[in-house]
Amino acid sequence: MPALPKAMVWEVVKGGMSARAQVDAPARFKPGDRVVARNINPVGHTRLPRYIRGKQGVVQSNHGGFAFADTRAHRQGDQPHHLYSVRFEARELWGADAAARDAVYIDLWEPYIEPAN
Amino acid sequence: MNGIHDLGGMHGFGPIEREKNEPVFHEDWERRIFGLLNLTMGAAQIHVDEIRHAIEKMPPAEYLASPYYEHWLYGAEKVLAELGLVTPEELDKRTAEMAKREAK
Repeated sequence: MPALPKAMVWEVVKGGMSARAQVDAPARFKPGDRVVARNINPVGHTRLPRYIRGKQGVVQSNHGGFAFADTRAHRQGDQPHHLYSVRFEARELWGADAAARDAVYIDLWEPYIEPAN
Repeated sequence: MNGIHDLGGMHGFGPIEREKNEPVFHEDWERRIFGLLNLTMGAAQIHVDEIRHAIEKMPPAEYLASPYYEHWLYGAEKVLAELGLVTPEELDKRTAEMAKREAK
């Protein structure tokens, strides 16, 4: 079979390749949970942005299982984890001068976050 | 890695340009890179995450000064070299050959 069969081209170009994957472990977090983004600084690939590390947010939803970019970038397998949408208030990220109603929602894999105390 | 790609929260890059009726590609070479990278990933079984990480490793000044699809080309070349499928010397040789053909 060719690496990229003709029939798949349109699908790939239009929709991209889905990284959705089955996760057997139960979800550690649920919507409404207050979490903190871990302060990690790996030298490899990560999709945890610097500006949220150590900051608190609230879990909005669980997208389900997705292949983990941090391992897949290094050919260490899919190692799928639950992926959450987490809301961070602008004031938590940028301080008191930020607008009170502004916030960002960031998709974060479970290993990126911990329960906030 | 804490690279230049992680721009969130940085100042001084100016406003985001919003283009009316923005085309999918601004230049024909961008279209070619789009196809080239997708085929390369399919043929060599490379995940997009590997390409992204390769792009993160671009020298920071080069990253900021080069357009988006040039990052894709850099990523493809870097991963192919890392996998031992193509050497930078082979790419340079081929590029020189093509430039010579273009000049005729």
